[in-house]
Order: sequence, then C-alpha cells, then structure tokens
Amino acid sequence: MAEAPASDESVAERLRAVLVTSGASGSWDWDIAADTLYFDEHFADLYGLTPEAGVAGVPGATFFSAIDPEDRARMKIAVAGILGGAELFSKEFRIQRPDGSVLWMHGRGQGHLDDRDRSVRFTGLLVDVTERKRTEERLRIAQSAGGVGTFEHVDGFATASVSTEFCRLLGLHPARVLPVRTINSVLLVGDKPIIPDTEQTGEPLDGEFRIIRNDDGAERWIARRGEIVRDSETSGYRFIGVIYDVTAAKQAEERLRELNETLEARVQEEIAERRQAEETLRQAQKMEAVGHLTGGIAHDFNNLLTIIIGNIDTVTRRLDSSSDPRAKRSLDNALKGAERAAALTQRLLAFSRRQALDPKRTDIARLLAGMSDLLTRSITETIAIRIHAPGDLWNVEVDPHQLENAILNLAVNARDAMADGGNLTVEAHNLVAEAGNTAAFVEAGHYVVVSVTDTGTGMTPETVAKVFDPFFTTKEVGKGTGLGLSMVYGFAKQSGGYVHIDSVPGAGTTVDLYLPRAADGEAEAAAEESVQAIELGNRDETILVVEDDDDVRTYTVEILRELGYRVIEAHDGQTALGLLTRTEQPVHLLLTDVVMPVMSGSELADRARAIRPDMEVLFTSGYTRDAIMRDGRIAPGLDLLPKPFTFASLAAKVREMLNRSVA
Amino acid sequence: MSTEPAVTLDELETDALTEIVNIGVSRAASNLRKMVGDQVLLSVPSIEVVSQRRAARLINEREITQLIAVRQDFAGPFSGRALLIFPEENSLELVRAVTGDELSPQEVQDIEHEALAETGNVILNSCLATMANMLQRSLTMTIPEVLRGDGAALFETRDETAADGLVLFLYIDFAVRKRDIRGYIAMLMDLPSLQALKALLGEFIERVVGDDG
Amino acid sequence: MSVTILIVDDSKLARIVAGKALTELQPDWQRVEAGSAAQGLEIVASQRIDVALIDFNMTEKDGLALAAELRALRPDMPIAIITANIQDEVIARAREVGAGFVPKPVTTESLQGFISGAALRLRSGK
Repeated sequence: MAEAPASDESVAERLRAVLVTSGASGSWDWDIAADTLYFDEHFADLYGLTPEAGVAGVPGATFFSAIDPEDRARMKIAVAGILGGAELFSKEFRIQRPDGSVLWMHGRGQGHLDDRDRSVRFTGLLVDVTERKRTEERLRIAQSAGGVGTFEHVDGFATASVSTEFCRLLGLHPARVLPVRTINSVLLVGDKPIIPDTEQTGEPLDGEFRIIRNDDGAERWIARRGEIVRDSETSGYRFIGVIYDVTAAKQAEERLRELNETLEARVQEEIAERRQAEETLRQAQKMEAVGHLTGGIAHDFNNLLTIIIGNIDTVTRRLDSSSDPRAKRSLDNALKGAERAAALTQRLLAFSRRQALDPKRTDIARLLAGMSDLLTRSITETIAIRIHAPGDLWNVEVDPHQLENAILNLAVNARDAMADGGNLTVEAHNLVAEAGNTAAFVEAGHYVVVSVTDTGTGMTPETVAKVFDPFFTTKEVGKGTGLGLSMVYGFAKQSGGYVHIDSVPGAGTTVDLYLPRAADGEAEAAAEESVQAIELGNRDETILVVEDDDDVRTYTVEILRELGYRVIEAHDGQTALGLLTRTEQPVHLLLTDVVMPVMSGSELADRARAIRPDMEVLFTSGYTRDAIMRDGRIAPGLDLLPKPFTFASLAAKVREMLNRSVA
Repeated sequence: MSTEPAVTLDELETDALTEIVNIGVSRAASNLRKMVGDQVLLSVPSIEVVSQRRAARLINEREITQLIAVRQDFAGPFSGRALLIFPEENSLELVRAVTGDELSPQEVQDIEHEALAETGNVILNSCLATMANMLQRSLTMTIPEVLRGDGAALFETRDETAADGLVLFLYIDFAVRKRDIRGYIAMLMDLPSLQALKALLGEFIERVVGDDG
Repeated sequence: MSVTILIVDDSKLARIVAGKALTELQPDWQRVEAGSAAQGLEIVASQRIDVALIDFNMTEKDGLALAAELRALRPDMPIAIITANIQDEVIARAREVGAGFVPKPVTTESLQGFISGAALRLRSGK
C-alpha cells in the first residue's frame, strides 16, 4: 500500500517539529531592498504577531519591536552592521512576550550580498536560550564568588572567549574576547602559556603559572584546569577551562619548604647556643660545688689546726729555756707546718668565698707602694718590675690583706711564667664602664682596675678557661697548690668585682682585677700589725665558752684559764642559755662558735643578749657562711676571731673586748 | 604598569566599532575571496587600547618567524595605520593564489613584492573605505608599502615617544581555508584619533539607534 | 575597426587581473598597459586610445587627476576609475570628471557594466 502524499500542512508541521527539537524557536527573512520582514509562526508567536503577517510581510523595523529596550540599541547596531555589508550575525538578546514574560534569545543570521557587495537579504533563526542563560548566570555568580575565571579557545584562533572574573584574576580590563597573546603576556618570562597557541600535544591540561597581574603589578600564582573537546563547527578542538588564584596556597607551601630547609641549620644554631649556656652553667655549678666541698673541708681543717696549733703552743710555753733545744726546734717546725696548713685553708676558703672579708676603704696607690718591697723580694733579679699607680685613683672597699694576697699571687704566677726573665708590670687605673662599650662581663659602673702583666709564656684559650678551677696548675707537681688564681677569683667576686685574663701564647698574660669604686671618704689606714705584750685577765672577769667540738672547747678554755679568767663552758646553745639563766654571777664575755647544731652562734648571741644586755660577744669560726655574715662580710659591730687562733691572738682579742666593755 | 586609557569607549561604542570593523573586514574578506577564489575564514575582531610597543609585542610574540606586512597609513577625522600581516613563508603561496596559479615559479618570485602590495592595497583599502562610509567621513590613504621584519620593525614609528603612546589596536586573524595561508589585519590609532573616533561612533549610534535607544 | 583599451595601474598584478576579465568580456579589444600616469599620457599622445581603465591609488599622480587630464583631451572617451577605495567620496569625485567606477578586485561581473556601456557608446559614436 502506497503512502499518502504528505500535505503542505503536514510538511510545515514536521519542519516545525524538527526546528523545535533542534532548539530553534523561530526564523525570519528580511528583504532589505523592499524593507520587508517575513517570519514563521514561531517567530510570530514570540513577537505576538499573526502567522499571516509573517507570510504577508511587515516593515523591517518590526524586527526590533519585541526586543527588550535594554538590548534594543545593541541590536540596532548589530543589524546596521549586516545592512552595511557584514556577513555574520550572532547575538544574544531578550525579547518581551505578549504575556509580559521575558525570554533570552540567540539570534543567528546571515547577510546576503549582491555581486556589488551590497546587502540584500538578512535571514536567521531565533533560539530560546533562557534556561542556558539562567544556568550561566548562576554559574557566573558561583564563579565570581569562588574567584574562578573561565575561558574557551578554539585551536588555531588568535583570540579566546573569557569571563569577567578571568580578566579580573589576570588584572586585565574586562572583555569577552581577548587575544591569546594578551592573556599570555601576563606570564613571568619562561613560564608555559596559560592558553597554548598551538595544539596541545601531550601537555597536561592542569597547570600552575606565575603571572604579573597587569593592573597592579602583583606577582600571583594562577592554577588552570581544563578539558579538550571536539568543536562541532570547525572540526578542530576547543580548549575549555577555568583559572583561579592559588597564591596563598603557594606562599604557604613555600614558607613550609623554607622552614624545612632551614630547620636543620636553625636547630644546630639553637643547640650550639644551648650548649654554650649549659657550658657556662656547668662551669658555675662546678665552681659552686667545689666551693661547698672546699669550704666544708676547710672548716674541719681549721678546727683540727686550732687543736694542733693550740697544743703546740701550750707545750712550747711550758718548756723552759733549759729544755732540750732540739725539742723546741721540733715544736717550732711543727708550728710552722700547721701555720702553713692554716694559710692553705685560708686560700681554700677565699676561693669558696666563705672567707670572712674585712673590707675597708682602701687607697690602692698606697697599698701598691707598700707592697713594692715585698714584690721586689719575691721576684728574681732577671725580671724587671714596674709598679705604676696614679695619684688620682679612686678608693675601693676591699679587704686590704686579701688584695695584697691576690696581687702577690698574681705576681708569683707571672714570675713563674718568665723563667728566662722579662718584665712584670703592676699598675692601676680608673675605669668608667658604660653599658654597651665595655666587655660583657663587666656591669656598668666605676671601677679601679689593677693589672698584673707579664711577658712570659702566655696561655692558650683552653688553659685560660680552666685557670680559675681550684687545684688547676700549670706548674710542676710540688711547685704550687693550684689555688692561687681560684683564690683571686673568689676574692674579686666576693668584693663585687671581676677578674679578666688576657693571654697570648708566647707573648704574655695580663690579669685585670676590677674592683668597684667606694663612696668618697678618707681611706682607713691599714691595721697596724701590733705586737703587744700579752695582757692577762683576772678571776673577776667571767667568760662563757660555747663550742660543740670538745677538743677545740677544751683548748680554748685552757688558754683562757691560763690567762687568769674565770671560765664556764657549754657544748651547745641551749646549755649556755641555761647557765646564763641559772647563775647570778656576771658573765662579761660570750665566746661562741658560729656553726653549731640546733642553735647557731648568732641565735645564741641574740638570746643571750636578751638576758645579759651588757655582755660582749665574740664569735669564732673557721667557716663563716653563717647568720653573722651579710654578703660574706662581717656585719658591722660584730667581733670575729677566725679559726685557727693562737694563744696570742685569742688573748689579745679577749682583752681588747673586755677593756672596751669597761671603758 | 596599568594602561588605563585616557579615552575609553563605553559598551555601546565598542559594540558599534566592532560592527563597523566587522563590515570592513567582511568586505576585505570578500575581496580576498574573490582574489584567491577560495573561502576566507575570519576571527571575531579584538579591540584593545594598548601601548604601541605592546601592540608590536602582541604580534611579535605570536610569530617566531619573520613577518611580511603591507602597510597603509590613513588620515582624516581619525588617523592611523592599517597592516596586513602574515608569516614570510606564506608570501609566495599568497602570490600564487592571487595570480591564479598560472605563473611559473620564477614569475611568482619576480612579481612577489608587487603582488603583495596590490593584495594589501585591495584588502586594506576596502576595509578602511567601508569604515569611512559607515561613519560618513572620508579618509585619505597612502600608497601601500611592503615591509619585512619582526613585529617591532612593522610597528616602528619615526616618533620615538609614540612607542609608549596608547593606541587603539584592532586585530582580526584570517585564514584561507584550502591553502596554507593565514595572517592578521591590524589597525592602530593614536589617542587624539581615538577621541575623534569616539565622537564619530556617537553619531553613528545616534543614526542607527535613533530615539528609542 | 578594433577597439584599443588603455589600462593604467602601477601594479602589474592589477593589470593582469583587469586584462583577464577584459579578455573574457571583449576578446577582440587591443590592450595597452601603462605603469604610471605619465606613461599613460605618453601613450595617449602617441597612439589612438578608445577606452581607459585607470587605477586611483598611484604614486606621483593619482588616477582621478589623470582622468581629469584625459577628459580634457578626449571629452568623449569612456574612462573608468578602478580602486578598492570604495569610499562614497571617491565614487563621487570619479563621477565629477565623467568617469565610471569599478571596484577592485576587478572581476568579470564588476567590469561588465562599464565595458558594455563603453562598447555601446563607441558603436554609436562612429
């Protein structure tokens, strides 16, 4: 059975169905010469015109009648292009439906020219792109909110379609179409193009680029993601993609990388600093520990030496002149040995800074002048000695005996460093240390610096670092105690000053003693070494001896009784206080050890004075880091008899105090 | 760093200029099509305000090879320079195309320079003349000149300071579908001209859009 | 009697193209070519020329000037300006000197109007 021939109507219907499925919403044919517009029924429907008008034709300007006023100017310009001879028409614009709704249309048209290149016809299709436009709008909002720019480039074209956000990201003025070269010109030299000029062959579609943003010159990182699709119109390829700014992420990455790279160096630096600090701390702790140790040993030594010296003393005094001279000589030798031991103990205490200093306002120039004879005698003739102290030196507040001792020690060390002769210089000068311009170890302030300089063998830095350690010595075994410099160190520290050694191997050594300046005032004359006749006491004068070491107490009590005093004794503070409370008889002097278990000498003194306000108190100690000490110095008004004491020194001190009391 | 132009075209003016260029270029393409007897493809014109130096770079960076260009300067209410540019290796192919493949290789060589000048003349003249007609003004045009060199040489200017001056840079590339010929039509206008052009575009819009714009 | 047509164009290519179109339209016509306005004037002075096709855009002297001079010499000769410069103003000036206008590139179609008009005039003028 043959098919019935299709009617015109059904052909038109089928054509319309095809156009609708292909997305076309209407078509027009504009006869330019006749100024007449023809259109199909879909176009008529969109424009609110009758299909009959489309067939019969309407004036050309009707084309603009349904176009939204906002787009009308733009469309008139575009159509003017076609009327003027342009060939292609491709525009998007809004039309207003008769029902008031607004639709987005894509008009795609063609200008037809005659053989003189004049436009004669303008034909085209309208396609409803409202849905796409809405999607695009949503996409545009999403993209600008997310800082995502889009591009589309047809392979071989010199231009690319871009979004506003795309332009913004690269700092280009907003445009819908940009030359590929303009886009790639923002790249830093050497980077791969954001949009390749030629077909991508194996290049990854994802990439990161460094750019100089065109508007503000900022250097940024831009990431690109894209896809290659086959272009339906040109049978070439389209590269469609997005770009976005990844500068912040890149910078964070960079910082992290740098951090990792420099981590090792920074750790090492830190470790070195810590080591340095630890080294310093360890040295200080070592000195402190040695100080404790030596202090403790010295304390016990002093007690023992007190007994030894006391007993030798006693025996010596009891030997009459007719006795065996050899026994007398032996006793003298024993006493000398004990005295040397006492001197050694004294140095140990000086180092451990537990030596009780007796600071006085001291004129160093005068002190050095007084030492000149001693120095000359101590130093061999092959060494030239020069002592220099200007007259305007400030006074310092130090224990003059200890200072002499320190200078002597340094001079002896200098001598030993110059076995083949050389120059020894002892000089002093004033120094104002200001923060920042003096050596780091010196605090800002006024100092008198005493320097002892030799031209001897010198020391390496390693040796210099250790010279203050007790028992460290460069000398041969038996030639020195190794306590000289540590004693100097302890003395300087205890006096509120510093010691600094400057030494060059082969060139010599300078030791500087920094002593803080004293408040102005007359220097006190150094205590005269007075050899007085031993004055005896009498039975009216009562002395209370408190000492926990039985041997020392026995020795002390014996001496005092021998001197003629009435003596009562106690082995601790509590007993002593008991005696003072019970007895009615006067007690003129309390002689007490400082360090005792349970109750210290100073506590005892305070409580005893409460009972007997007129009673004199004399402390004895071989170890005086005690309650009677303030900053290592004897509190003013307190009397201290250092251990080991001799018969003569005890006799003199007791007599002096009792006489003062009577006066 | 920023090339914020002193004179800017608004959206409508840019649309108008694009259309006018489109018409001119359509005419030019139509003429080229007649000359080579083959379809000519055009890109959407790109319109930018850039420095002259940068315009040179835009061309230069794109082409590694030497370029050949036909240059024609124009003067009138707005003045500038129009260029037909293509890679040097395309030159003989273009000459063969416009001479209808009837000449021997030697003849093609002999006529090359002169044929290029005439081709440029036809294309640039028709483009510029169409634009002048659309804007209802007349332009005078110089005799076409054939140049060889890189981008910088093609855009060189006698006035040293002008290299930094801003220009309106129009740029359309074309390709002859069946032959290995591609190139660009570029147009440069300096800023005083741009101002005049803006006024003319205003008139054009007025004429085309009328009152209900 | 044969017709002689003068083609004045400084472009050899343009002369070839115009010649080709002409051959198609009027195979019997004699063609004489000149590369400049001066050369064109020499030829007009030395031999009989019936029709002239003149390029507008030439160095030294442009086609409109040459057309004006020829018009003074030969008030009746059919003359056409050929140019790609299709500005309305150029077309108007061509009309002023009594010349036709043929846009470049010259094709058989674009040349046909002028040539057939010229042939008609030459026949009627005899």
